[in-house]
Amino acid sequence: MVPMEYYLLLSAAVFCIGVFGVLTRRSALMFLMSVELMLNAAGINLVAFSWFHGNLSGQAFTLFVMALAAAEVAVGLGIILTLYRNFDDIDVTNATTMRW
Amino acid sequence: MAGALDFTPAIPLLPFASFLVALLAGYFAPKLLPKGGAIPGIVATAGSLVLSVWTFFAVSQGDYLSETLYTWVVGQDTFSLHFGVLVDPLAAMMLVIVSLVAFLVHVFSLGYMNDEGETGLPRYYAGLGLFTFSMLAFVVADNLLMAFMFFELVGLCSYLLIGFHFREQGPPSAAKKAFLVTRFGDYFFLIGVVAVFATFGTARFVATGDGAHAFPHMAEQALAAAGGEGTMPGPVADFLDVVGMSAQNWFSVVGLLVLGGVVGKSAQFPLHTWLPDAMEGPTPVSALIHAATMVAAGVYLVARMYGFYALLPTVLAIIALVGGFTALFAATMGVVKDELKQVLAYSTISQYGYMMLGLGTGGYIAATFHLMTHAFFKALLFLGAGSVIIAMHHNEDMWDMGGLREKMPVTYYTFLSGSLALAGIVPFAGFWSKDEILYEALIYGAGESPILLVAYAMGLLAVFFTGFYTFRMVFLTFHGDARSETAKDPHGVGWNVKFPLVVLGILAATVGLVNMTPVAKFTGAHIEFLKDWLAGTEGTAFSNLGYEHYHHLLVDFAGYGAADIAPYVPAAISLALALGGAGLAWVLYNVDEPVEHTEKLGGAKTVLYNNYYQDEYQVWLAEGVTLPLARAADAFDQGVVDGVVNGISSVSLFSGSRIRRIQSGVVSHYAAMLTLGLVALLVVFGVTGGWF
Repeated sequence: MVPMEYYLLLSAAVFCIGVFGVLTRRSALMFLMSVELMLNAAGINLVAFSWFHGNLSGQAFTLFVMALAAAEVAVGLGIILTLYRNFDDIDVTNATTMRW
Repeated sequence: MAGALDFTPAIPLLPFASFLVALLAGYFAPKLLPKGGAIPGIVATAGSLVLSVWTFFAVSQGDYLSETLYTWVVGQDTFSLHFGVLVDPLAAMMLVIVSLVAFLVHVFSLGYMNDEGETGLPRYYAGLGLFTFSMLAFVVADNLLMAFMFFELVGLCSYLLIGFHFREQGPPSAAKKAFLVTRFGDYFFLIGVVAVFATFGTARFVATGDGAHAFPHMAEQALAAAGGEGTMPGPVADFLDVVGMSAQNWFSVVGLLVLGGVVGKSAQFPLHTWLPDAMEGPTPVSALIHAATMVAAGVYLVARMYGFYALLPTVLAIIALVGGFTALFAATMGVVKDELKQVLAYSTISQYGYMMLGLGTGGYIAATFHLMTHAFFKALLFLGAGSVIIAMHHNEDMWDMGGLREKMPVTYYTFLSGSLALAGIVPFAGFWSKDEILYEALIYGAGESPILLVAYAMGLLAVFFTGFYTFRMVFLTFHGDARSETAKDPHGVGWNVKFPLVVLGILAATVGLVNMTPVAKFTGAHIEFLKDWLAGTEGTAFSNLGYEHYHHLLVDFAGYGAADIAPYVPAAISLALALGGAGLAWVLYNVDEPVEHTEKLGGAKTVLYNNYYQDEYQVWLAEGVTLPLARAADAFDQGVVDGVVNGISSVSLFSGSRIRRIQSGVVSHYAAMLTLGLVALLVVFGVTGGWF
């Protein structure tokens, strides 16, 4: 029986890795991956609490979140493709036209 | 059977219809408009004239009218604003005068405008129609606000017509001047109208029907209450508490405010400067402005609300002094003018000065009488001048004329009739009316109000100048040898010029006979018809509008009392002065080759030529005082008011321009900010939630 705190620590660690990736990487692909990490960290949390409370609906939700994440990746990849076409690069710091 | 008074609203509306016809047809189908709009105008004014005469006879049967036609603002628990018609003897008389002069001016315009090949005739006739409409509606107005509105319309029409030849340089400038100077006076009038509404809660001249009040009557009650008789009307008492002045003082202020409009419109000192410049307009327009409409409106307004003015001795004295001074002042300027119409312009100012003198000295009948006779003889003189100007190919300089007597006898004899009336030579119209004004001024001045004697003296002195400049004008224009080629072979004039001249010439000679006060006193015959006409009827709602009532007011409230002086000696004095002036003109100018005698005046000549520097000081007032004041106000507006607003907005602008820099467009920065925000929130919750 693994204690609850372990799951939460794992989740926090994965989330922090994701944040770290978003803050430090410049490649849009790395961005996308980092965002996935953060999303799945939230998923781990959800599953952990669901297990802790003995209620399955949290786990069912997580399945939906994973399906949605797949769809989101498809959209994200499409955006990255457009980014590449417009800027010949997928470095997010180059795409600075959407500002004042 | 509909009576004449049912058609009274049609009197002003007919010229309005001709205005619309001339305007619309002139714009959309000029070919369809006969004579450029003259025919509809003549038909409409002839219709007005017929209806006016009919109304006149109905009024002489004792049929008066006061009715509300249209209420355009309905007041809840307060006063309403309405258009209404008031026909009493004064209005009926004025209706006939205005529609007659307007009709004759329309006919004359056929000769002066159409036959001379002027362009833009529909515009001209539309202006005349609107002018006549405004004046007629002003005459029948039953409340002060309606009177004010048409007063303003009259001013607008004068602007349109004086500036008729808008492509030349002079007329537009003269039109603007006429508009602005009269507007300066009207500004006070407007405040006066508001003050009347605020004080009395009504602006009616006469009260008919249940619950209606008339402001002159309420003023009378209020003053009587202040003197210890009766009770003060509620609204007046409330308002006097607000302004904190006695009834007499406050009413004087209101009276003077309204008088501002009168001084502007009737060209009294110091707002007379627009009138000589207004000669830039076509001559028939000058005749209309000076005889029957614009300038007459001011004096008519005072006569209309005389029940109010008769209560206020201070205001009456001011009216008398302004009038007397203007009469003398303008007459002296008329002495040195070289242009025919300029002489007439100054004579108009001077004659309206007499009317104001008459009103101020309690000579209500005399002033109204002079308003009537002056309308006829001044219209005649202007139309005669127009005839001369046609003959002289639009040269107005009297030094280029001379000897026109044989060549245009109709014009000469009618002009002479008008001149005799203007100079006040017995038995022509002007003698009877002007003499009566002076007589009234003398008896009331010698009686209880010595200040009026000053006004009387000025008026009397002006008689001499009037006689002189009138006959100087006649002799220079018609007598002696022709002094230019055009004068040797003048252009002929047609029936449409002669007909109005003859009608007015006969009137100028005879209309004075309706009120021959000295003869009535001498023979004891009952022949003061005008006095009876304006006396007012007892026992009806209209009794407050009659001379009898005004006389009571003058005696009871203004403290006027007449000295017992027989009218013969004063009449003889003024006649002698007029003859003296005319005789001097005869000696100096009725020679074959007249020369200018103005050099003998020395320094006075320069002053007179420059009209006492009135224009100069008014321009100085505008440029030296008003302009810097306006500049200072502008600087305040631009600097302080706008400065505060701009300062506030510049703070936003500056902070905006700084803060927008965080919108870098780099998505990592946004992510960093999100993260920092989250951390900050966690810290805040942690600290306040007691996690540590």
